[in-house]
Amino acid sequence: MSSRLAPAYLILPSFFLAAFIILFPLWDLAQLATHNVNRFGQVRFFSGIDNLLAVLDDSLFYESLWRTAIWTGGVVGGTILLSFPIALILNEDFAGRGLARVIIMLPWSVSLTMTAIVWRWSLNGQFGLLNKTLLDLGIIAEPIVWLASGATAFPLQIGIGILVSIPFAVTVFLGGLSSIPSDIYEAARVDGASPWQQLRTLTLPLMRPFINIALVLNVIYVFNSFPIIWVLTQGGPANQTDILVTYLYKLAFRFGKMGEAAVVSLIMFALLLAVTLLYSRMVIRDEQNR
Amino acid sequence: MSKRAKRTIVSWLLLSPLMVVILFPFAVMFFTAVKPADEVLSTPTVWLPTTFRWANFIDMWAATGFGRALLNSLYVSTASTLVALLVAVPAAYALSRYEFKAKGAYRQFLLITQMLSPIVLVLGLFRLSVAIGLLDSVNVLVLIYAAFNIAFAVWMLQSYFATIPRDLEEAAWLEGASRFRTIITVFLPLAVPAMVVTAIFTFINSWNEFVLALTMLRSAESYTLPIKIFSLVAGRYTVEWNHIMAATLLATVPVAIVFGWLQRYLVRGLALGSVK
Repeated sequence: MSSRLAPAYLILPSFFLAAFIILFPLWDLAQLATHNVNRFGQVRFFSGIDNLLAVLDDSLFYESLWRTAIWTGGVVGGTILLSFPIALILNEDFAGRGLARVIIMLPWSVSLTMTAIVWRWSLNGQFGLLNKTLLDLGIIAEPIVWLASGATAFPLQIGIGILVSIPFAVTVFLGGLSSIPSDIYEAARVDGASPWQQLRTLTLPLMRPFINIALVLNVIYVFNSFPIIWVLTQGGPANQTDILVTYLYKLAFRFGKMGEAAVVSLIMFALLLAVTLLYSRMVIRDEQNR
Repeated sequence: MSKRAKRTIVSWLLLSPLMVVILFPFAVMFFTAVKPADEVLSTPTVWLPTTFRWANFIDMWAATGFGRALLNSLYVSTASTLVALLVAVPAAYALSRYEFKAKGAYRQFLLITQMLSPIVLVLGLFRLSVAIGLLDSVNVLVLIYAAFNIAFAVWMLQSYFATIPRDLEEAAWLEGASRFRTIITVFLPLAVPAMVVTAIFTFINSWNEFVLALTMLRSAESYTLPIKIFSLVAGRYTVEWNHIMAATLLATVPVAIVFGWLQRYLVRGLALGSVK
């Protein structure tokens, strides 16, 4: 193989596979979004922005969009805020740290589907062990049917989302912390900096790139996350826990509104693209400032 | 009290609330899985079973068709991992050993494939599998999982390949070995650990995938484990929770052990591959 073309031969197989499976459906979605499609998926005639207008006319779209913002913001925010101190603790040397790390990482090793199924059973209003435990501890006086209303189901789903997202953020942070040379802390201590000052002026700025990457990757993952909500409530009751992904799924596979579902897909892609672009600009600015 | 002892107590105290919440579902899973059926749905609810009924696992296996779903999951995960590695290893090698014009563009492309998550594309992918006549076939999942794992695999592999010293390869060239021969005899043996680790994570990703399997697999014979277990929960009048918890336990624990053992490699690979 000639060495000038070698990289092309090496890269092309992966490119073709990914392009076929990932870019072709994207093109198909663009077709669906701009055409009139019947419920069996037959593309009939060009309809311009009719599908878009139909989506924008649906109040459930705005509700789902708003709930997606709460879901993503809540899960990612909660994850980062909890994970940073956890990583700081796990970075210290204490007895049983290995075990502590394993426990914190446990939720990562279980698929979201299984986690959600176990929680669905734990949250059962009549026989669930969460009610049992909370009643025994005297935290609640009456059993609560957690999943029967969005007001209790949605915050719980966010909580479960945080729980399963912590391991990834903690590992990224631990990786970052271990890359900080320890002698700068000694220098700071010699200069009389308190632990709090060290955290604020040394650790936080040096951890910026790692916080950024954890933020962006988490936003992408959580924004797209489907199993927790689908397994627990399928967006119900009465659409009170629908986010964009469940709304999209229902449009496509329950209501047979494929054109509108395609529009929602493209809107989601546009939102993700915006986040990623924002992020890469942030990173570039960061690098220039250094 | 020594400084370290104090730190130990404070650390465990601070972490304990979270640990309780993390371990809670595992306790629920375990104790429900070994309960006799009549104790699962009894009021008042109890944590501990009167007898540990291990036979639940055997009953569950027969009643749910667990074996078939297990085989499907093993097949899909293994095949998609092989396909993903087959295309990702050369790409990662090119990224770590060559300088070429399209490098930046290819990296951008990988990033975009990561942003287009399965759920955003699910309708398009569904129509694609109908078009190529593979709806309800586990093979369509093999292709799709492989494609979605490429970016991750390339990132992981590339970050490890970068740590393999070039000196050895260059020495082989000096002795007259061709580039191809060098790859086979010098580079690949050194890259085996990286490929194994990447393969295991790709395997787990496929093993755990939900939404695509839910959409593409229509008949119970083709269900993978997550869909099988979900189908036992959703839309049923009677749900045998002790069977379901036994099934989740069986489906979860082996993967959890492997994952727990290997996650430090994941951290290193991800941190190096995606930041650089």
